[in-house]
Amino acid sequence: MTTATPSLRDMQQAMRRSLLGHDDSIAAFVVDDGVAATERLGIYRNTFVGVATRALRLNHPAVARLVGDDFFDATAQAYIVRHPPTSAWLDQYGDAYADFLAQWQAVASLPYLADVARLEWAVGRALHAPDAAAVDAATLASLAALAPEAPANVRFDAHPALQLVRTATPADAIWRAVLDRDDAALTSIDLAAGQRWLLVERSNEGVDVVPMHEAGWNFTLALCAGETLQQALDAVAEAPDFDATTLLAQHFAAGRFTGFRTVAPLPIAQPDEDCP
Amino acid sequence: MTFQAGVRAAPPSAPTLGSPIPPRAGIGLRFQHHRDVLERRPDVAWLEVHTENYMGGGSPLAHLEAVRRNYPVSLHGVGLSLGSADDLDAAHLARVRELVLRIEPGLVSEHLAWSVTGETYLADLLPLPLTEEALDVVCHHVDRVQASLRRPILVENPSTYLRYRHSTIPEWEFLTAVAARTGCGILCDVNNIYVSACNHGFDASAYLAALPAAAIGEFHLAGHARRELPGGRTILIDDHGSRVGPAVWALYAEALARFGPRPTLIEWDTDIPPLDVLLDEAALAARALATGALECDARTGRDDVAEPCTFAA
Repeated sequence: MTTATPSLRDMQQAMRRSLLGHDDSIAAFVVDDGVAATERLGIYRNTFVGVATRALRLNHPAVARLVGDDFFDATAQAYIVRHPPTSAWLDQYGDAYADFLAQWQAVASLPYLADVARLEWAVGRALHAPDAAAVDAATLASLAALAPEAPANVRFDAHPALQLVRTATPADAIWRAVLDRDDAALTSIDLAAGQRWLLVERSNEGVDVVPMHEAGWNFTLALCAGETLQQALDAVAEAPDFDATTLLAQHFAAGRFTGFRTVAPLPIAQPDEDCP
Repeated sequence: MTFQAGVRAAPPSAPTLGSPIPPRAGIGLRFQHHRDVLERRPDVAWLEVHTENYMGGGSPLAHLEAVRRNYPVSLHGVGLSLGSADDLDAAHLARVRELVLRIEPGLVSEHLAWSVTGETYLADLLPLPLTEEALDVVCHHVDRVQASLRRPILVENPSTYLRYRHSTIPEWEFLTAVAARTGCGILCDVNNIYVSACNHGFDASAYLAALPAAAIGEFHLAGHARRELPGGRTILIDDHGSRVGPAVWALYAEALARFGPRPTLIEWDTDIPPLDVLLDEAALAARALATGALECDARTGRDDVAEPCTFAA
């Protein structure tokens, strides 16, 4: 930056570079009256990094406990300069954190850490999602009235707090044991137990993490992605002993859907048309 | 004519909601005290919360709605970035609007500061260069926020730790111009004036004297910290981490004498103490509001009474 008066935008971009630790060219425009400009800028950098680190910790309390405060802070600083917050809604800060941990060499010896972060991200999403009313009994009855041909073309609206997470390690068991400070449970976890298919949803005063079977998770994922009921059934057609009716009933009883839509004019002559 | 707290473009939908914040003492409500405030119903005139802590839904918002049934609530934002050269974050403004519609606060406030550039949120209230360009930008954004929320907002003077060489307008004139051009009110943070006056060597009383009384809609009071820098210099840090200092109480008394009673908030964000400490501070402010005079006796036994502002250049 030259020493001519900078535009507001240029000045703000220079401040951004300073706070992210790239360069302090902004210092040329700061009054230096006995306290060095870099010293003054450091006050703001400390606050920025401190606030972002605290947000990341609040959103990932189990990761923080697993690695300890000092290590968490150092890792957070590395994350913050690579992925600074993009919005003032800091409850939603850290969308790239799990992927960052997955490739961050310093935590390579903790293969479950990224999975725990992935789960905590889903927990945070569930906690802070907008409120929405679940489908009520009368509306459910109208769905039943569409039977038998229409359900193939029904799409469901998932509750905004509903999250689906798949992890390569038993991250849910680790997460629970860490937050409960249950060392006995933590040491008994078999890290080689393999994949977990998890449903995360809001409960009265917090969040529930519900383990699912693979087929049910895939079926639910398809519905949440806006696919029709028929498409979701097709996605798990190969799964033995999968009972979609029971699972759907559980979903509705738990308030996991807020509505449904039929996607083609009724009646449908050949439901299979939608399902190549 | 004085600025009316809670004036709105449309009438409130229910007489018990949207009530203006009274010119009495309130406290900043943080998560730690939700349960206490709901169960004890402490005798405090109103509560202020940070807008950004109640976005989305779930239990924080449910708690705030419960609190709102018992108290007037003010929404105090930190994230709109009124001073950004970039456009306002439309998604963030939409979330603020949604919360305002739901809570029907008596006051909505933001800061004379910026925090967003190039889609990065820099998570602090950063100082603006006080130039004609920045004044145009701030006024444009305040207009947009007030149009979106369909009500006037209050804009708070910041505490700052640096000044820009190319600033041309004193902060008090800048803030006054924003109020005059947009119709917004001024949230006069007495602690911030004191902190900035000490850090930059201006006269805090002269700052107060330059503000338009009719625009003052609220006072903030908080504690600050002193940080020793290498080379022996001291800088005041607005950490909201202690009781209000005696010099700030004295400046508050000046503000009351000059502007008359306004809603006055005790803010505390670092090392948050038990609720009773906040209520005790609010009681001091309440007495000053009621009598128009400060009862300094309670404060004079403290170590930091002598807090001379001698370290500014």
